[in-house]
Amino acid sequence: MSDVVVTGRGVVTSLGETADGFFDALIGRRSGIADGTGACTEFDPETVMTAKEARRSDRVAQFALAAAQQAWEDAAPEGIDPERAAVVVGTGVGGLETMERNTLAWLQEGDRAVSPMFVPMMMPNAAAGLIAMRFNIQGPGWSIASACATGTHAIGEATRMIQRGDADLVVAGGTEAALTKVCLAAFQRMGATSRQGISRPFDAQRDGFVMGEGAAVVVLESERHARARGAHVYGRVAGYGASNDAFHITQPDEDGRGAIRSMTRALEDAGAQPGDIGYINAHGTSTPYNDKIETVAIKAVFGTNGSVPPISSTKSAIGHLLGAAGAVEAVASLGAIQHGVLPPTLNLTEPDPECDLDYVPDGPREAPGLQAVLSNSFGFGGQNATLVLTGA
Amino acid sequence: MPETTVPTEDQVLARVREELAAIKVPGAEEATMDTPWSELDVDSLDLVELVKALEDEYGIQISDDELKPIKGVGDAVALTIRLAETQNA
Repeated sequence: MSDVVVTGRGVVTSLGETADGFFDALIGRRSGIADGTGACTEFDPETVMTAKEARRSDRVAQFALAAAQQAWEDAAPEGIDPERAAVVVGTGVGGLETMERNTLAWLQEGDRAVSPMFVPMMMPNAAAGLIAMRFNIQGPGWSIASACATGTHAIGEATRMIQRGDADLVVAGGTEAALTKVCLAAFQRMGATSRQGISRPFDAQRDGFVMGEGAAVVVLESERHARARGAHVYGRVAGYGASNDAFHITQPDEDGRGAIRSMTRALEDAGAQPGDIGYINAHGTSTPYNDKIETVAIKAVFGTNGSVPPISSTKSAIGHLLGAAGAVEAVASLGAIQHGVLPPTLNLTEPDPECDLDYVPDGPREAPGLQAVLSNSFGFGGQNATLVLTGA
Repeated sequence: MPETTVPTEDQVLARVREELAAIKVPGAEEATMDTPWSELDVDSLDLVELVKALEDEYGIQISDDELKPIKGVGDAVALTIRLAETQNA
């Protein structure tokens, strides 16, 4: 059994800026999507940083710092050895708004119009750096970029850091703030996003994902460290698996081989059998490809004879948070275990014959004995990651 | 059009305060000629923005060498006035 436990959680999403509030909204069948995006319209960076800090950080880092502040206060790790603490917080695209604004300024006015804060605001590791400064984290710090699998890779790699003995405590997660006009246009041009502006994973009428934004950060600790300081334990990162499709830069392997390897490795790492998993938090993007192929892959791992556990997609409620998605979904998965209830898949009204599993369209659904959840993330680049999360 | 006449100390001090406030430096409005950067928590990246604002406002160019000994508001104001006198002469 893994000795890595979760002692703190923080989220910033279009459905709330606390872990508990976010999960309550999910099981309340609320949607954070409006006008075709899942924007964090209530977010005010100056609730967690000074005006100067806010001006000198991109929205992508502001989300991460806000989520990390919640997670840190939740875990309350006072008095720990700062050299034994680490941070791994990733992003799919980094400070895109900063990139676009400075590029436009440079085109219009030349070199002197470029902000001296451009690099520290745009760089993908900015969030991890700011979090380390805020909480005096002096052990290893870095960021991960694996597109839509970033958040899951971050939690998985942070788990490995603790297992290797690199750190006793790791602040881990993902963040994204890519609702810029250029990025929205880019995903539209490649046919990835929904022209209807509706996130309807596994539905016959699905036509792409809806872009969201936000962050989720968790505090992971070795169980020994957490118990020694009397920390509250929300759950355990029981297993982590990762793989490459090695197939196409955006399109998933048609047989789901990468996804199958990722799920199988996570189960093996957890020492679990498919039958031990009570719920799957799917990648479930609402793209025609992903949902069909993820279904194929899940069947390959879990069987086709009614042995597949219930599945749902958090993206049906908040859209696709790209690099933050896996971390947000880990928090949702922990909530399902903690409360014994499965969040629904929203907007699934017309079943797709090729997506013929139980996606909890009528949820929330009581699951009082839920002990283990498998959470998938599959990124552009063919990079896949899966977590197995269990109760405390 | 940049200002070509030599500004007064009060004018430059006001401009420095205005720019520091624009870049959200706490205490910018209360800064005096005696306030050092350390008291305002102004760092090298803030100075890049302040220098650009003063250059644009007064039609001057501030070199890195000239900036090195500038340790606070009074130094910046004095340098700006000196450069406005010499460079716009």
